[in-house]
This record gives sequence, structure tokens and C-alpha cells, in this order.
Amino acid sequence: MRTRLLSLMAVILSMGLWSCNDQCKETRVTRRQIPFTRTLADIRASVKIESPHEMKRPGKLYTKGKYLFINEIKQGIHVIDNSNPSSPAFVSFIAIPGNGDLAVKGNTLYADSYTDLVAIDISDPTKAKEVGRVQNVFQNGQFDGAWWNINAVNGSVWDSEDATIQDFTVDYVEETITTNCEDTTPYPYYFNSVNSFWDMASFGTSASAASSSPNSAPGTSGKAGSMARFALNNDFLYTVSLTSLHLFDISKPTAPTTSGEINVGRNIETIFPYENKLFIGSANGMFIYDNADPKNPKQLSVFQHGTACDPVVVANDIAYVTLRTGTACWGTQNQMDLVDVSDASSPKLIKTYQMQNPHGLSVDFPTLYLCEGDFGLRIFDVTDKMGIDKNMLSTFSNIHAYDVITMGKNLLVIGKDGFYQYDASDVKDVKLLSRILVKK
Amino acid sequence: MRALILVLIYVLAGNIVVAQEEPFKRRYVNHTELGGLFGRVKYNLGGTTNVVESKNSLTAQMFNGMQLNNRLSVGGTVGVDWYKTVLINPIAAGARFDLVGRKNARLYATGDVGYGFGWFQQDSDGFNTKGGWMINPGIGMRYGKPEGNAFTIGISYKRQEVHVDKPLQWEQTIRYEDRVYNRLVIRLGMSF
Repeated sequence: MRTRLLSLMAVILSMGLWSCNDQCKETRVTRRQIPFTRTLADIRASVKIESPHEMKRPGKLYTKGKYLFINEIKQGIHVIDNSNPSSPAFVSFIAIPGNGDLAVKGNTLYADSYTDLVAIDISDPTKAKEVGRVQNVFQNGQFDGAWWNINAVNGSVWDSEDATIQDFTVDYVEETITTNCEDTTPYPYYFNSVNSFWDMASFGTSASAASSSPNSAPGTSGKAGSMARFALNNDFLYTVSLTSLHLFDISKPTAPTTSGEINVGRNIETIFPYENKLFIGSANGMFIYDNADPKNPKQLSVFQHGTACDPVVVANDIAYVTLRTGTACWGTQNQMDLVDVSDASSPKLIKTYQMQNPHGLSVDFPTLYLCEGDFGLRIFDVTDKMGIDKNMLSTFSNIHAYDVITMGKNLLVIGKDGFYQYDASDVKDVKLLSRILVKK
Repeated sequence: MRALILVLIYVLAGNIVVAQEEPFKRRYVNHTELGGLFGRVKYNLGGTTNVVESKNSLTAQMFNGMQLNNRLSVGGTVGVDWYKTVLINPIAAGARFDLVGRKNARLYATGDVGYGFGWFQQDSDGFNTKGGWMINPGIGMRYGKPEGNAFTIGISYKRQEVHVDKPLQWEQTIRYEDRVYNRLVIRLGMSF
């Protein structure tokens, strides 16, 4: 008995003496930017066709005819044969360094490649080849919140082939540190504060969305997302950079030429053509431009809103503007604004709806498809514009949805986990047709 | 830990048999204690130097149960532990067992196993504290008549887990902290 008691006491006391140290570990996943440089000559020589790749970090989504084009952030474009939506097949991969946006007119694909706009003949997507290039039209940009810019050589030799692009590789680092078990633990010593955290052009924490189709000549151009920074209108391609609207004359599709630049404002994110107007989304508001003369867009009005990422689509003279919170956008609201734009020179707010975390959206009136990020995809009937929240038709909460394009019967959805395609012929009973998951 | 549990089972099982020797009437028991949680923490600021700090916090708990025989009582324990930045309410299953001693001064073993909840925790903006599992074995001295009021002093070991989601700092996408409070506990109490 006495022996048992002694052993019990010894165990308890030894644990008390040896183990009475609080053990607290903080786990952090931090986004880290690693700088690298590449010469323009090297970048320009790297546009080429490759065998199909697996998707790793999908970006913008674009569809034209039977093909889907999915941007692989900063790497190029996946070309996917979608003639059978139940079984889309990778056709090829067009390697385009520094690519984030695209648009297709006829058999020509237009894509950005850091400073340049590249025209690529895709009449046979397995043998796509570069046919035209406009050099040095974009001076900076960003992917995943990391800004790239051009390093001039010998002073200001901005267009020299020797010039280099200064860019950053973004990766995510997990670390575990011991803490003092309180909330006052100091910041990690490798604190990285190189760049701000805007992330408008790609996934990750980005703004990303989808839209109704560009309003260019029917049958000649494809359909882009509302987060697109490229828009087609007849013989013109419009692109938006951080502060400007760039115009390109593509009357000769394989030989695009720059046709002017208009200073719009700051933090421009998206462009959406509707009838003869351009709706430009910025972090602070929606700009409406009259595009009756495609060579010379003129600002009609600005609809101001709080600072937030704000993809916009327009249907039946109503603009649907989503605002959401998130590190990238600095916003404090998660909402969707309906704005009457029947008089484009005087847009009027119709109603604001509270949402969870609205991202991309697409309208096939009277149906609205809305991506809610981690909260999935929601489908609304918007016939009653004052009661949209009471007319939710269905919801998919088991996917991560950033971007959606409605093709009438078919629905294309992309998120950080992959690409999903649905049969939406009955909006109350949407069925999954196929999916392409991101390689982890 | 496993060794401790085995020893406890061994000791309890061995003495339950002994306890059958005397006639006994079951009754309600209460054991209320107040004390301190004492420990240290060693952490690293990111350089090569560790920092070691002492920690102490207040603890209070109440055991309510049934005296099953002259030595063993089992029941439930509710308590409050004021760690520096977390207020935890443990709810546990507990046992008290008199090991040895004279009638008016006995050595007893105590054990509580349960879950500490963060119901009354008030978090700073962006923090979200959740409780976790708790275990608290120990021994003590009980001074008083076996079936009357008694004064107790106990020493035990307490392990309390806590999870805290923290606000993101610059360029972070995930940030959380898993805490294990390992404390030496000294309590004074009353039982009846």
C-alpha cells in the first residue's frame, strides 16, 4: 500500500515539476514575394504552343464557339474543346509569359504578355502561332497582388530589348512559432512589406467575376467574365490598366495597332461593354463611357460607391454591381447594388442587397448567377428588382465560386478548386455536367 | 500520463475492495476550492534567444457528487480558470478518493477529466477563442471528520487546451494558435 502511494505521488509531482510549461504554437500562412527579372527579349521569344498542361492556378475564363480558354495566371492559356460539355478535353496550352487577360475575335486571340499585346492565330488551336504584337503598351501590372514593372537600361531605354521585367513569384509559406500564450506575440522577423496587397487581376484573394457577353458583332467574338480587363467592340479592342483605357484598332485582326489611351481614374478593375457604352469598374466607383464613336469613348458619368472590389454586369438597363470585403479590396461591405442606367448620364441606385461575399456574376435575364466565393454559387430570379433576395431559385454551397458565365443552357463556373460546367436549362434543377479540378 | 492513469486505477481498484469492510450510507458531497495555476512559458521571438516567463492565474472550482463508500466519491466538476488572456469554464467528470491517514487527516487523490469552454471569454476584435480538453489529476490533504466538514489543501497538474483564431496580419492568409496550458495547481478548499 505504502509503495503504491509513493509511486502515485512520485508520478504526480514529477509531472508537476517537469511539465508545467505552457506550450503555445501559432501557425501562420504568409504570402511571400520572391523577386526575379526577365529580359523582354526572352519574354517575347517565349510565346509558343505546348502540349496540354494540368490546371494549377486558373485565372480568367473565356469561351468562343466550342472552345474554352482558361488563363493560367502569368503562364499562358489552356485551350479546351468543349463541344461535349459533359467531357471537356484539353487541346493545347499556349505559353504566354505574363498573361492575365484574353479576348478572341474570329480566329485571332488577343492576350497581354507583360508590356505587350500579342495576337495569336488559333484557327487550329493545336498549331496556334503568334501573328502580331504591339510592344510596350502596358507599363506595369500585377498578379496575385505582386506588381511587375520594367527596369530601364542605361537611363530610360524603355523599349530596348535589353530592358528587363522586374516581377515577383508569389508563394505561400507556412510557419509555426512558439508564443507566450498571449495575444501580444511580436511579428515574425522576416516581415515582408514590399508591396501593397491589391489583387484585382487574378485569383487568390482577388476580385474575379464573369459577365454577359461583349456586345461586339455577333458570332465573331467570344464571351468573357465581368472581371475581364479586355473587351471587344467591332474593330476595337479595349483594355484597362490601373489608371487608363487603352484602345487597339483590330480592323486587321492579325495586325493590331494602338489607337489611343484615355486616362480614366485610379484602381481600374474591369470593363464591360453594353450596347454602345462601356462600363468600367474601379475600386471607388463605376464609370460609364459613351462608345458611340468607338475611336473616341467619352465619359458620361460616374456612380460612386465605397472602396471595394466591384465587378459589374449590365442587363436590361440595370447594372448589377457587387461589392465585397477582403484584404485585396479593403472593402467593408458585402453587397450587391442594382443601378438604373437607362439614363447613362445619370445612374440611379435602385436597391442594395446584403450578400455574403459576392464575387463574379452573370445575367441571363431574368436569371442572375452570383458567385459567393467560399459560400458557393447562388441563382436568383431578378424579375422583381425590389425583391431579389426573396427569389433565390437555388444555391450550391459545396463549391468555391469566383467566376460564372451563363451560356443560356450551359453554365460555366470557375473557382480556386477548378472549373465546373452545369446544365442550367432548368434553373431550379441545375445539374453538374463536368468538372476539371485544379492539380494540388 | 498513461503511467499516472494506470497507477490511479490500480490504487482505486485495490482500495475499493478494502472499503467493503465497513457498512456505509451513500450521501451527497461538495468540494469547493480556490487556488492558483502556476507555470512558465518559453518562447522565441524569431531570433536565437529564448524568453522564459513565469505565469500564474486564478482558479476556482466546485465538485458535486455522491460518496459511494467511505473513501470514494464521484461526480461532476465545474470551474472557472482565469488565464491571462482567456477565461475558461471547465466542465468535467471527477472523483475524490481517500488514500491513507488518520480519521481526521487523510491523504486523498483527485482526478477531473473534461472540456474547458470559452463561453464567457470576451475576445478582442478579430480573435475567436475556443476551449478544449482538460485533465486535472492530483493529490491533497483533507483535515476534518470523515462524514463532516473538512478543510482541504491540494496540489495537482492541469492540462488545458485552447484554440484561438487570430486576425490576419500583413500578407497572411491563415493565422491561428493552439495553446496547451500546463500548470501546477495549488488549491485550498472546503468539503462536506
